[in-house]
Amino acid sequence: MSTVKEDRIVLEMQHISKQFPNVLANEDVSIQLKEGEIISLLGENGAGKSTLMNVLYGLYRPSAGKIILNDEEVEFSSPKDAIEKGLGMVHQHFMLVDNLSVTENIILGSEPGKAGIIDYKSARKEVAELSEKYHLEVEPDAIIESLSVGLQQRVEILKALYRKARILILDEPTAVLTPHEVDQLFLVIKKLRDSGVSMIIITHKLEEVKAISDRVYILRRGKCEGLRNTKDVTKEDLANLMVGREVVLTVHKEKKEVTGDSIFNLENVIVKNEKGINALDGLSLNVRPGEIVGIAGVDGNGQTELAEVLMGLCKLESGRIYYKGEDISELTTKQRRNKSISNVPADRHRFGLILPMTISENMVLGFHDEKPYVHGINLALDVIHNYSEKMVKDFDIRTPGVDIPAGNLSGGNQQKVILAREFSRNPDFLLVAQPTRGLDVGAIEYIHSQILKMRDRNVGILLISLELEEIFSLSDRILVLYEGKIVKEFVPEETTDKEVGFYMTGGKKE
Amino acid sequence: MQITKLKPVFYVLAVISGIVGIVMYFSSIFSGFFFILLALIIYYLYRLLATDLKTVKSDIIPLLKNLLIPLIGMSSAIIIGAIIMALTGYDPIKAYKALFYGGFVKNWSISILNATPLVFTGLSIAFAFKAGLFNIGAEGQYYIGAMVATFLGITFNLPPVLSLFLIFIIGGLLAAAYNFIPALLKVKTGAHEVITTMMFAHIAKYLSSIFVRGMGGDSAGLHPYVTDPILDTNWLMRFKSIFPSANYRVHIGILIGIGMALLVNYILYKTTFGYEIRAIGQNKDAARGQGISVGKNIFIALLFAGFLAGFAGVTQVVGLDHKMYENLNAGYGWNGISVALLAANHPIGVIFTALLWGVLDAGGQYMTRTTQIPNSIVEIIKGIMLFLIVARYIYSWLGNRIKRKLGTRIKKSGGAK
Repeated sequence: MSTVKEDRIVLEMQHISKQFPNVLANEDVSIQLKEGEIISLLGENGAGKSTLMNVLYGLYRPSAGKIILNDEEVEFSSPKDAIEKGLGMVHQHFMLVDNLSVTENIILGSEPGKAGIIDYKSARKEVAELSEKYHLEVEPDAIIESLSVGLQQRVEILKALYRKARILILDEPTAVLTPHEVDQLFLVIKKLRDSGVSMIIITHKLEEVKAISDRVYILRRGKCEGLRNTKDVTKEDLANLMVGREVVLTVHKEKKEVTGDSIFNLENVIVKNEKGINALDGLSLNVRPGEIVGIAGVDGNGQTELAEVLMGLCKLESGRIYYKGEDISELTTKQRRNKSISNVPADRHRFGLILPMTISENMVLGFHDEKPYVHGINLALDVIHNYSEKMVKDFDIRTPGVDIPAGNLSGGNQQKVILAREFSRNPDFLLVAQPTRGLDVGAIEYIHSQILKMRDRNVGILLISLELEEIFSLSDRILVLYEGKIVKEFVPEETTDKEVGFYMTGGKKE
Repeated sequence: MQITKLKPVFYVLAVISGIVGIVMYFSSIFSGFFFILLALIIYYLYRLLATDLKTVKSDIIPLLKNLLIPLIGMSSAIIIGAIIMALTGYDPIKAYKALFYGGFVKNWSISILNATPLVFTGLSIAFAFKAGLFNIGAEGQYYIGAMVATFLGITFNLPPVLSLFLIFIIGGLLAAAYNFIPALLKVKTGAHEVITTMMFAHIAKYLSSIFVRGMGGDSAGLHPYVTDPILDTNWLMRFKSIFPSANYRVHIGILIGIGMALLVNYILYKTTFGYEIRAIGQNKDAARGQGISVGKNIFIALLFAGFLAGFAGVTQVVGLDHKMYENLNAGYGWNGISVALLAANHPIGVIFTALLWGVLDAGGQYMTRTTQIPNSIVEIIKGIMLFLIVARYIYSWLGNRIKRKLGTRIKKSGGAK
């Protein structure tokens, strides 16, 4: 796999420590990067990967240690210094101006030209040349908002290359991409490596590490836990190093026969998005008690609308929704929730939690007006407090107390608060959207096991996820959502991710 | 365990002592302070006996921490004000002596009178803020309250307490009703309440001109127009009737304001309604997603904000003016915004920030009269104070910077292992 021409070390971070007021984010971490090499920084959320890269990129000053770039000790006081020395970083959340063109975005901050007048012509030419040279095809005049996420990422990479980056830092580059886009990105990364660019990839996905990197540094709790050559290490070893204990990578799911009538049905549901286009276009599906139905699909094919229409949060244009044989199409969100329908929303910060409110306040959100949490017009604060403390214990939520704002918790623990709230109501039907987005392996393992526990309690579960791997490991049936319709149904044991991916991107059988 | 049985005794003692202290203090009998202190001591003594030192500490420390930033902001504003005065050739020490002596001691009664309507408008705006709404039109609801109080004050001839009670309730309700259209527009069409309530504030203001002319008063063409006075029986009780030494103008409106602040605090933090309001104010999407009716709550919140601002107008008429003047550019609605922001929208905080504003106004006038230092310096200090306290993030930014500097230095001198 390695195409390293020579073993010249281009970058060395020596004994880096980074102390924040209350946390030691990095402790004595050393890494080396050779010319034309791809290394991965693997670690759970909060392991210190991003901090380390931010130190490298000049966003933070290290508390101790030094950075040696091309045999010369450097000290960056801002990303500007780092860029000048040939470093580039592609952030997880793209730093692009949505309503400017590709060229304008790429040259932003280092515009060519004289006396304040930008020389667009030569800029455009240079961008076109760059994108040809590295096989990063993008239309130089396209407006950013009209591009897919994969293409926007290319613009970010081009932006770094335009600034003559020889070392690229990619922060969770595949987090937002479809399987096809991931393949393309990997091709681009290999092309870049062949032309001598060195890359550091921050990730917590084991496949990614195996697929593209030459060497991998494993970080845990701010410390470097090891360095491995990717070809000599298994995924299991990596996972154990990363989490620090044995991890069950594939969920143990017992096959079980699902019988009985469906508990939840959608019939020919049409929902329009804000632009007036049918986001759900005659969608029908059913869920039976005790099964997990996985909705696979590329983001933006109606997942959001599907979740919203199920919970009564958006207008049903036509079609019906049945729950336990009863037509619930016209019921409010509250009424639906009262019929023991629970919901784990995709965007936990926006829809799942009220971050400034305390954990106990969040724990009863939505049924704060029901017995025993209410006493006359008052909240039964003692009851809520005790209930929350029990939930914190039952769901293993790591927090110093239940009276601190939910926003102070880590992502995994925030998700556990939502799970505690929704699962403890003994639902008969459960809508789970993106339950593990942005979470680390340990938390994912826990959340998956909780979802399976609900299935074993005979709850009907609809799982909407952009992670194909998650769909495969949890679902009893897989439905592929494409442009607002279910285009194909699979049984996970009888298909492959390639086949599902083919239908997700609009492919059809001849 | 025995001590918890005595809980009511402690609480009653604390409350009585507190009320006596507050009434004395507002009657300019400053030894009332000791009763307030006694009330606090009794309360915390009970807490200490019933629980332990740690719980009491965890009660008090966050409270003090929350007070720290406003206090830093205030003292910085005072220091900056001193520098400005020194630069412009005035003696800051003399000025501040006059300002605080005037505001807290000599003209304390005027400070209270200034603060009273601000407590209500501040509460109105703070409550709306909690629901994520900006009731910028509190000024208009103030005028409605004042008009209703004047009209009913002149016409109601009922037993005094009942009459006053009805005036307050009707004045509040009509002021709330005045927010009905903005609230409806907000819920149904999404029209922004900043625009609608502000327009309604202007309408109310000019409506009051017509109202004042229609309600009699001196027709000799004197300016400004004034309505007939309200009936003596509809006057709000004054501190003078409790302690004869109190200033004859100071009425118990400030006590009603404190009562309202406690009520709003209770609603916000103890009731399901308040919980929903706070949930919506902090994350509308999540609240809606969990089945809370956003429209209904926003609607009620705007109406309740109107009710609170209406009380300001009512109190001013039945308590202080006993009639209504035309073109009274009181601006209590607008100043209520500052008061609410300064209190970080906390209902109890509003009492103190309203009093602070009252003190600065009254003290500023006294300062100008006695030292010839222009009153505008007080406005400058108020502006800086507001800026420094509202722009709270400055402190966390500065704090982080200082910590970072210190952190690096410690690391460097200690050396990393």
